[in-house]
Amino acid sequence: MKKTGIFYSFRSVKTGQQVKKIIKALGAEVEVVDVDIMTGEDFMQFTNYILAVPTWFDGELPNYWDEFLPAVEDEDLKGKHFAIFGGGDQKGYPENFVDGIGLMANFLEERGGTIVGFTSTDGYEFEGSVAQRGNQFAGLALDIENQAALTNERIEKWSQELKKAFK
Amino acid sequence: MNDIPKIHSIKKTDKETLLKWYRILFLGRTLDEKAPNYLKQAIGWSYHAPAAGHDGIQLAIGQVFDRSKDHLFPYYRDLVTNVSAGLTAEEIIYNGISKDADVAGGGRHMSNHFAKPEWNIHNVSSCTGNHTLHAVGVGRAIKTYEGKGVAISSQGESSVSEGYVYEAINGASKEQLPVIFVFQDNGYGISVPKKDQTANRKVAKNFEGFKNLRVMYCNGKDVFDSMNTMLEASKWAEENQKPVIVQANCVRIHSHSNSDRHDLYRDDNELGYVKEYDPLAKYQRLLKRYNRVTEEEMQAIEAEVAEEVKQAHRKGMTAPHPTPESIHDFVLPEPYAAAKYPDGTHNYEGEPQKLIQGLNETLKAEFRHNPDTYIWGQDIANKDKGGIFNVSKGMQQEFGKKRVFNAPIAEDFIMGTANGMVRYNKNIRVVVEGAEFADYFWPAMEQFVETTHEYWRTKGQFSPNITVRLASGGYIGGGLYHSQTIEGALATFPGVRIVYPSYADDAAGLLRTSMRSEGMTVFLEPKALYNAPKAATPIPDDYEVPFGKARTRREGTDLTIFTYGNTTHMSVEVAEQLSKEGLGEIEVIDLRSIIPLDTEAVIASVKKTSKALVVHEDKVFGGFGGEIAAQITSEAFEYLDAPVKRVGSTFTPVGFNRTLEAAVLPNNQRIMDAAKELLAY
Repeated sequence: MKKTGIFYSFRSVKTGQQVKKIIKALGAEVEVVDVDIMTGEDFMQFTNYILAVPTWFDGELPNYWDEFLPAVEDEDLKGKHFAIFGGGDQKGYPENFVDGIGLMANFLEERGGTIVGFTSTDGYEFEGSVAQRGNQFAGLALDIENQAALTNERIEKWSQELKKAFK
Repeated sequence: MNDIPKIHSIKKTDKETLLKWYRILFLGRTLDEKAPNYLKQAIGWSYHAPAAGHDGIQLAIGQVFDRSKDHLFPYYRDLVTNVSAGLTAEEIIYNGISKDADVAGGGRHMSNHFAKPEWNIHNVSSCTGNHTLHAVGVGRAIKTYEGKGVAISSQGESSVSEGYVYEAINGASKEQLPVIFVFQDNGYGISVPKKDQTANRKVAKNFEGFKNLRVMYCNGKDVFDSMNTMLEASKWAEENQKPVIVQANCVRIHSHSNSDRHDLYRDDNELGYVKEYDPLAKYQRLLKRYNRVTEEEMQAIEAEVAEEVKQAHRKGMTAPHPTPESIHDFVLPEPYAAAKYPDGTHNYEGEPQKLIQGLNETLKAEFRHNPDTYIWGQDIANKDKGGIFNVSKGMQQEFGKKRVFNAPIAEDFIMGTANGMVRYNKNIRVVVEGAEFADYFWPAMEQFVETTHEYWRTKGQFSPNITVRLASGGYIGGGLYHSQTIEGALATFPGVRIVYPSYADDAAGLLRTSMRSEGMTVFLEPKALYNAPKAATPIPDDYEVPFGKARTRREGTDLTIFTYGNTTHMSVEVAEQLSKEGLGEIEVIDLRSIIPLDTEAVIASVKKTSKALVVHEDKVFGGFGGEIAAQITSEAFEYLDAPVKRVGSTFTPVGFNRTLEAAVLPNNQRIMDAAKELLAY
């Protein structure tokens, strides 16, 4: 597997726990990067990316991602593979469920990046999501508010898919 | 949001602009944080709805607003919007502590209601979202006069629960008007979460099915996203002459206002994350992260702002309060000087015209006289039909659909857009049929009340030049929704004139004066008399009747009947009958104007006859006659030889069955009985 990084805010304890599970499931060398302090240069060094992008508020990127993206908005991301996961609340915010994943996917694709790790929307109940592409999400949707018991299984399954997607 | 051009970003926007924005944001925040101190020190600013958390979208609204062509209707949380639109720290503080120098209206309106009518930043109601109808009215004027610019209504997301906001957006969609409705969504209407307001979390979604309407969503906490969205909204609305909704996600970092405690309904987690979303902090981080400005440059602005606010505070503290005696200023503007017929009487001897004809011909004459005159209402114009009673017959054919047109069945919309349209140009005069029947006017009451406030609240800066025509009263077998007269209720509001003619000539003359005057006049038309021969009179072509001039319909010496509307004719008939019977000579005074009331004529007649009977169609209990009777006892008690009596409707609704209607409404016999009783003293 080419150089792979997993990116999240180190301030987020819950995301940190999910990251550990993903790394364990991947069983490969993955560099962990703190989104809060990384630069555009830091970001561009990788080929494979796993991005933790929870959805904030009514369908927004967290500040740390939102404020970082201008650093790479002019970059060509062709040849890079991005897998995105993130938390959402399908009951509390059914109209914007895991929008963050979709917003990030759109940003990356507009710059030539390839999204991997699509997952089925089966098993979720929501009304709308920027992350939805047909009957799939453009990443892994986690919902610890309403489906916490499924989180480990979903992470494990997704991680196995990533092994195939990342080269 | 991909269809919104990314004109601004932290990397693209020029440094000068970035610094200008920082100054606005920092000034806005400084004032927002300083406001509660004035209350703590008992100086003022007792109402303060913090803007913190809305900074991005508010900056954008103010920056996009162009006072040379746009109209802005900010709401009570729009401190940063106003600063961004150009209000100074001094102007904000004058409003906050309600000083006479407050450009919104000299401290007459509640604090935190920033405005500058001189710049088309309108002084709006505290009733949330009420100004959406005014924005639509201005939008209609922009379109009618083919002007440039847009109307911007800024409001909280919970205001959209109000029915009149739906009416406004529906109207803007139907008429295709250049209006931007900005919903600043902080998730709460005071303590009520948005899930208790509407089913969609983003209330703008409720309107996605509206034709001709573009809906945009943006992050109101982000300066760049907000700027890009507002720029596109303004450009699109102006170019396409169509409305836009901008739903801006915000957070409310503090309580709703200083009378609210948000810790009673928000948990620690929420209180923490809303702070993390602080738009100002985000903007500061971005400026530094992308090296767009230096720490020193930011500090220099902060120091400058601190000094500006300090100076503004000093000026605010020494500025005078409004004086107590000023309360009577600007209740109503001076009316048109109806000088041709100073007493509102004439000796013209032409063919008698029916009351309805007098109204129709005066409307047409005034439309020819003033090209900036408009009329709308329900049923106002469709082919050969002109109004439910055909009062406006033939007007659309002569003056066209831009000046004479139907309104949706939405009385509040009819009133509210009149209030809005007249803001565009001081020459504009709007006549509305406020409702098909006066009894249906109640849905328009919130806009009616609002309109009565405007002139006073703005300290004379805005005069709503509107004539509200209402077909009123009973004797037609109409029941509860087609037979009532409502002047008693309307007369309790300062800021409106109310006239109620009984004869064709007075109807024509008062209508002309109303349509030429500044301010709002409610024009009540006794519909039972529209075609009644007894109300028909000759009418001079140029007839005009001054407000507040009563007319003596019959001279007398033994008793005066004070009356107006339908009961004037009954009173005259009774007086004639009593004279024939040799029981007394009764004077009948037709008041014509209720507000202003011709108190001088009332008192003079009481002095002459020493007995007073007040007769009107409205209920005796709580009716306007109570005011007349009270003024007589207060000002002419020593001239009275008998108690002041009143005749009017019973304190019941008006029944539909003819027997019921007759039992409720006053008639000749009741007037006769009361008159005889008084004559016997």
